[in-house]
Amino acid sequence: MINVENVTKSFRRGDTEIPVLRGISCEIPRGAFAFIVGPSGSGKSTLLYLIGALDEPTSGEIHVAGRRLDEVDQAGRDAFRRTEIGFVFQSFNLLSNLSALDNVLIPYMPIGEAARRRGDAIELLKQVGLEHRLDHRPAQLSGGEQQRVAIARALLKQPSIVLADEPTGELDSENGAEVYRYLRRLQQEQNSTVVSVTHDRSYIQEGDLVLEIRDGRIAE
Amino acid sequence: MLRFAIGNLLSRPGRSSLSTLGLAVAIGGMVGLFSIAGGIDHLVASTFELIPGLLVQQRGAPVPLFSTLPADWQQEIEDIEGVSVVNAEVLVRANVIEGKTIISPPRFVLGVDIENRLRLKNGVYAECMEEGRFLRPEDAGTTNCVVSRQIAEEFGRSVGDVLRVNGYDVTIVGTYYSGSMLIDVSILMDIGTVRSVSRYDPDSVSVYYLETTGEIDDETVSRRIEQHFADRRLAEWDPSSAASRLIGPEMSLTDLFRNLDTLAKAGELDRPAAERSPEEDSPEGGENSERDALSESAADSVSPVEVRSADDWADEFENFMTDLDLFLTLMTGIGVVIAVLSIVNTMLMSVTERRIEFGILRANGWSRGHVLSLVTFESALLGVVGGLIGAALGWIATHVVNWTFPERIHLHAGPGLLLLSIAFSVLIGALGGAYPAWHAARLSPMEAIRRG
Ligand SMILES: Nc1ncnc2c1ncn2[C@@H]1O[C@H](COP(=O)(O)OP(=O)(O)O)[C@@H](O)[C@H]1O
Ligand SMILES: [Mg+2]
Repeated sequence: MINVENVTKSFRRGDTEIPVLRGISCEIPRGAFAFIVGPSGSGKSTLLYLIGALDEPTSGEIHVAGRRLDEVDQAGRDAFRRTEIGFVFQSFNLLSNLSALDNVLIPYMPIGEAARRRGDAIELLKQVGLEHRLDHRPAQLSGGEQQRVAIARALLKQPSIVLADEPTGELDSENGAEVYRYLRRLQQEQNSTVVSVTHDRSYIQEGDLVLEIRDGRIAE
Repeated sequence: MLRFAIGNLLSRPGRSSLSTLGLAVAIGGMVGLFSIAGGIDHLVASTFELIPGLLVQQRGAPVPLFSTLPADWQQEIEDIEGVSVVNAEVLVRANVIEGKTIISPPRFVLGVDIENRLRLKNGVYAECMEEGRFLRPEDAGTTNCVVSRQIAEEFGRSVGDVLRVNGYDVTIVGTYYSGSMLIDVSILMDIGTVRSVSRYDPDSVSVYYLETTGEIDDETVSRRIEQHFADRRLAEWDPSSAASRLIGPEMSLTDLFRNLDTLAKAGELDRPAAERSPEEDSPEGGENSERDALSESAADSVSPVEVRSADDWADEFENFMTDLDLFLTLMTGIGVVIAVLSIVNTMLMSVTERRIEFGILRANGWSRGHVLSLVTFESALLGVVGGLIGAALGWIATHVVNWTFPERIHLHAGPGLLLLSIAFSVLIGALGGAYPAWHAARLSPMEAIRRG
């Protein structure tokens, strides 16, 4: 499903190149529930964004769902993110000017399909327990509720991959556990591949794939 | 998408409304400025529609008021093929009415050959009568007159009342109203009466107004008349004679400018008009035989008369309008530049604040193009609203001005101008948003999210 081959990534800061990923190789099979762990600043988010085609590696190849990402053009990457990938970030997932419902419909707005997906979006918000919050703005929602809206948005497109970057980072343990409950349900019901960055190993369960990054490489 | 864009604009109400207001003022200014041109255009067109005939006047005279022609040319003009009715007109300024010095709007005493006037198919005034009656042949020699509705209203007179004009009492027998500010300025009387009360040379007229038979086109008739008189000599039109009549020219700004110009060049204003006789050095046709051989073009160039049709006047206005439009475009340009900068500023600030938003949108599959359209769309919306408000303001302003100065200014903001200015405003909005939009689309989504 996801195949990362000898990927390096460095950032330029002023005149110096700062290598973050120094040759990462890993494989995440379809339907897996994978965690990326490692110390802060080790490049976890960087790897996740590379997989999600939000950024491009300095060298190496990434294959996702049969595509070689560096061979896909910009329009293809946009479509790939729109149809196959659900992102859930630590925070700032939602647009403050839109209601919960409209936030769920964001991917479909520019292509004029928002109205058609409305019913499904309401259904998904119900499933994450937000049926009374459809018209609420993000400011009127708690942190846990906001993350659930983001999960509903990821669910709506029935993604083959969900990429979550510390989705529980700003939540208490109760709300954090709930977020992972929804992610696991998604993985099981839709057979999606879930890749989540976390620094809290307590969410890891038997059978999960754990990738630990250390010094820019996968630690064995 | 529309709701989203509106929501984004409304979430920054202060800034959005300020830049909308800036745009509205620019667009309102544009409507206001171009309504001047529109008004002149409109007025000129509607005036010339009412005057379908040809006007024979002294060559060089900028307006009929400044023209003087021999009275005995009437018969000659009538005999020219293609001419049907010729009406002699004597035009003098009404300087004082009811003790009030008249400057603006100008008023004229127009002396007409009544009997002949009634033979015109379209006598301009007779068709526009409102109250009372038009002049009749038996009014010849009397001080019976027909005045425009505006003059009657200005001095609180109606049919049957007496009006004191230039020191003489005249009796109003009828009022007319044409709707054209250029025509509704006259006091019509018998030509003989006007000559005697204003001490106008009995052997002169100001101009001839004529109608053609319609069998030959106006241009040919005009050329024939000019050619017919090619061998006569009139005193060159003397700008200094115009000095006393200068204030409040009848036709237009162009003429005013040109009069001033001519006067400035002539440099001498000392010769009183009364001394002048139109036939000063006009021979009694003795040189005819020598001149017969002259070619047509040469003859044209020396004819002491010129024949003007509505089209000629219109052409002249066309030139003036081109200059005016250029000037108005420059003025509007200044306002527009300011409005564009204000929009660019507003949208750029908004875009900078929304980096994270754009990152979220991009992460959810929005392309650069989608982000670009969203921002451009928002700023075009500012343009729509600004344009609507501006056009409405401009439109109201032109009406207020017209209503306040009904006889001095006529502004016209037609639907064409209004629609154009709204469209222009949308364009400004979209263009003003283009750079900020490009800026927003260029942002790396990953960087935006990471900063958040
Ligand atoms: N766009 C960027 N420009 C410069 N440095 C970056 C950029 N993105 C990430 N980095 C650096 O790369 C390193 C890894 O970042 P990140 O992947 O966010 O780590 P993690 O998610 O594991 O905490 C950090 O030192 C960070 O400062
Ligand atoms: Mg991180």
